[in-house]
Amino acid sequence: MGEFLIEGDAGIRAFDRLVFSDMVGLRTGRCRYSSILNEQAGIVDDIVVLKLDDDTLYVVTNAVPLTRVSETIRSYTRTARDLSDATAKIDVQGPLSRQVLLKAGLKDIEPLKYYGCCRTQWRGGAIIVARAGYTGELGYELYTPNDLAPALWEELLDYEEVEPAGLGARDTLRMEMGYTLYGQDVDESKTTLEASMGQFVYWGRGFIGRDALCLRKEKHDYQVRTGIRSKDRRSPRPQQEVRYNGEAVGVVTSGTYGPSVGCGVGMAYVPSDLAAPGTELTVGPKDLPVETAAFPFYKEGTCRN
Amino acid sequence: MYPEHLRYTTEHEWIRDDGEVFVVGVTDHAAEMLGDVTYVELPRVGMAVAQGVEIAAVESVKAASDVYAPVGGRVAAVNEELEARPELVNEDAYGEGWFLKLEGVKTAEMDKLMDATAYRRFVAENV
Repeated sequence: MGEFLIEGDAGIRAFDRLVFSDMVGLRTGRCRYSSILNEQAGIVDDIVVLKLDDDTLYVVTNAVPLTRVSETIRSYTRTARDLSDATAKIDVQGPLSRQVLLKAGLKDIEPLKYYGCCRTQWRGGAIIVARAGYTGELGYELYTPNDLAPALWEELLDYEEVEPAGLGARDTLRMEMGYTLYGQDVDESKTTLEASMGQFVYWGRGFIGRDALCLRKEKHDYQVRTGIRSKDRRSPRPQQEVRYNGEAVGVVTSGTYGPSVGCGVGMAYVPSDLAAPGTELTVGPKDLPVETAAFPFYKEGTCRN
Repeated sequence: MYPEHLRYTTEHEWIRDDGEVFVVGVTDHAAEMLGDVTYVELPRVGMAVAQGVEIAAVESVKAASDVYAPVGGRVAAVNEELEARPELVNEDAYGEGWFLKLEGVKTAEMDKLMDATAYRRFVAENV
């Protein structure tokens, strides 16, 4: 991931123009999902911003487009500091994550609500914690200086509640929730509207890409990201063609078997009139039957508990 | 783990000569590469296949891949247990995780397949 520190009112105001969400009004101790768009409203990156203090933002970006994003952020906000190379990130996710972090001595996390954040200390080192994640479950994201990360990792793994999880496991969890993966489901060729994330946009303010986004919204001439689910254990797969009555209408961007829901789940871009839940489609070389469905597929997630 | 009494293909299938029939599955190595197997698509019993033809498919949370007939023959039986318990492929690739049985096999085609030593070397060279 990429991490950036933006300090001071002028810096925050400059950064505010670069993203589609209100950054000036973000309250201290809260996080907000947002995106950096280009002038054509293509998604340069999707990000989460933590308001650590009244005059400090901590911006978390994806690793894939990091060079471009780093240049963009620093050109708009000259005082922004790129901490990516000095920062490690450990996600602790699952219904037991709160009690594990309390055992590890991170008492400051106890009052955090969903999308809350705080600064705290661990063994004398400064770390940042956001109650957020990519799994749909109660969970925390820990940002630590590189030199502290191995000891923190070792201590966490020592708890019997904790197991390491790889990308395959994380991918099933995020797909069951309908969360996008940057570079696979969204990228600069897609706007926020196509990505079906228009509800996150703060329209009543100026930001890069707003004019283009408004124009697209008026014309409504685009495909949209929708959930798809199979009727058995077979799964849709990325890059597969989507067909409606045998005719090619779109493409699958993510798909896997959803262990928690017992069927194949995924996401695809289709014309907006086919995106309504319950539309019967087929995907891939064997015409796997799927139907469109609203996110999330898994509705028992504990992330807000 | 690659049992000595099996023959292997470059597509990571195994085959065992049981006398009357030949039993086919995918190797431990294939199962490990796939991760948790979530679905196995099996052929119709009675279907005739030639060596190297697509005969089944296997899906996991990570990927989907085709399974090819190690030798030609006719499908005598399929492992219906895999429909409900595809995880048997991970748990017991050479036992309960078998895919199908072939009859009417041209045994000469078995000679083209790898033995355990050759397959172990093939895996080591192709990881």
